Amino acid sequence: MVNEERLRHMIKISRFDTFDGKECRPMTQYARKDYISLQLLRSFVTGTICFGLLLGLWGVYSMQTLMEQINSLDIRGFLTTLLTLYVVFILSYLIATYIVFYVKYTTGRRKVKRYYGSLKKVNQMYEREEKLRMPGGRDRQ
Amino acid sequence: MTTLLELKEKLVRFYSRNEVFITPVIRFFVALTLFMTINSSIGYMKSISQTPVALILALLCSVLPTGCMIFFASAVILADMYALSLEVCAVTLVLLILVYFVYFRFAPKNGYDVILTPLCFKLHIPYVMPLGMGLIRELYSAFALVCGIVVYFFLDGVRKNAAVLSSAAEEEDGAVSKIVVVLNQLIGNKEMYLVLGVLLATLVLVYLIRRMSIEYAWTVAIISGIVFETVGLMAGYLLLGINGKTFEVLLGGAAACVIAFLLQFLFFNLDYSRTERLQFEDDEYYYYVRAVPKAFVPGTDKKVKRFSGRDEERLSKKQLVEEMDIEEDWLD
Repeated sequence: MVNEERLRHMIKISRFDTFDGKECRPMTQYARKDYISLQLLRSFVTGTICFGLLLGLWGVYSMQTLMEQINSLDIRGFLTTLLTLYVVFILSYLIATYIVFYVKYTTGRRKVKRYYGSLKKVNQMYEREEKLRMPGGRDRQ
Repeated sequence: MTTLLELKEKLVRFYSRNEVFITPVIRFFVALTLFMTINSSIGYMKSISQTPVALILALLCSVLPTGCMIFFASAVILADMYALSLEVCAVTLVLLILVYFVYFRFAPKNGYDVILTPLCFKLHIPYVMPLGMGLIRELYSAFALVCGIVVYFFLDGVRKNAAVLSSAAEEEDGAVSKIVVVLNQLIGNKEMYLVLGVLLATLVLVYLIRRMSIEYAWTVAIISGIVFETVGLMAGYLLLGINGKTFEVLLGGAAACVIAFLLQFLFFNLDYSRTERLQFEDDEYYYYVRAVPKAFVPGTDKKVKRFSGRDEERLSKKQLVEEMDIEEDWLD
C-alpha cells in the first residue's frame, strides 16, 4: 500500500534534486563567508574582463578624439582617471555580487534545510516500517 | 468569482496532468515568436531568416533548456549582423559577451525574462515586464531586465540605421564610422536610459511593496507600479522632447495592468475576508501571526455512493494485522 505522506516527502526531495540540487550544492559545502568570497573572486575576474571590453569599445568610439589629442594628452592624468573608473566599476560589480549571493545563500540554505527535513522524515518512516516487518519486532515510537 | 476560481483550478489540474506536453509546446511557441521577430526585424542574412529555419530552431528549443534558446537567438543575431557589416557584428559580439557576463553571473535562471523583455517591446507592452518580474521573481531578476532592454534598444537602433551601416563602408574611414554609428545606439540613446531607469525603478518598487506585510499587497504593488511607470515615462518623454509616445504608454500601461492582475489571480489569490489573527508565546518570544487563507474552490468530483453490498475498500482489523505482520492486541 502506498504511504501518501512518505510519497509527498519523496516528491519534495525529488523536486529539490531536479530543480535546485545543483545550485544548492555549494550551500552544503561552504560556509557563507567562503561561498561569498569565492563568488567575489569570480566576479573580480569577470568584472575585469567586462571593464576591458567596455574600455575597448570606448577606445574605438573615441578614436578620432584620442588621435587629435594624443600629443597634448596628460598620460599620468589619463591613467589615473582610468584607474579611478576601474575601481568604481569593480567596486559596484563586487557590491552587487555580495548582495545577490548573500540572498542566494540564505534562500539556498533554507531549501537545503527543508530537503534534509524531508529526508529525515522519509528515513524515519522506513525505519518504522522495517521495525514493524521484523518478526517479533515492536514499534516503540 | 467562483466560476473564475473553478476555471483556475481546472487549468491548474489540466496543466499538472499534461505538464510533459504543455511545457514543450509553450517553449516552441515562445521560441518561434522570438525567431520570427528576429527575422522580420533584422533578418539581413536571407539564408537563415526563413520560416523553415525558424521552425527547426523552435523545435530544437522546445526540448532543450532555456539557455539554448538564448544561445540560438544570439547566433542568429550575430549571423544577421555579419550579413549587414563585419564591424556591426564585432560590436554585437562584444555586447552579447557583456550581457552574458551579467546574465549568467547573476540571474542564470531568468532566461525567459531576457527573451520576453525584447519580445514585449516589439509587442508594445514592455511595461508588463517589471510588474510581472517584481510580482513573481526575486529582486536580482532585475539584471535579466537590464540585459533584455539593452539588447532590444541596440538591435532596434541597428535596424533603424541599417542603410547607413551598410553604406558607410564606402567612406574613407568606414570601419570606424560604422562602429561609432552603432555604438551611438547605446551611448547616445537617451530614450534607452530613460526606459531603463523607469522600468528598473518600477521593478524594485513593485517587489518591495509586494513583500510588505500589508493587506492587498499585490494589488497595491500593481497599481503603484503602473502609476509610477506611466507617469515616469510620460514625464521623461516630455523632458527629452520625444513626441508621439503618450498613446503607446497609456495603452501599453493598461494592457500591462490587465496582465499583472491576471498574474495575481493565477499566482496569489487570497481571501482577506477569512483572515485569522493568532497570538501565542514560547520561552523567548510572543508571536502575533496573521494567517490569510488562499481563495480556493475544490473542483466538482463525481462520487458514487453505494447503499448496498459489502464495503470492500475498508480494511478490517484482521487484514491490517496480516498485512503488517503484527500481533492483533497491538491495535487495542
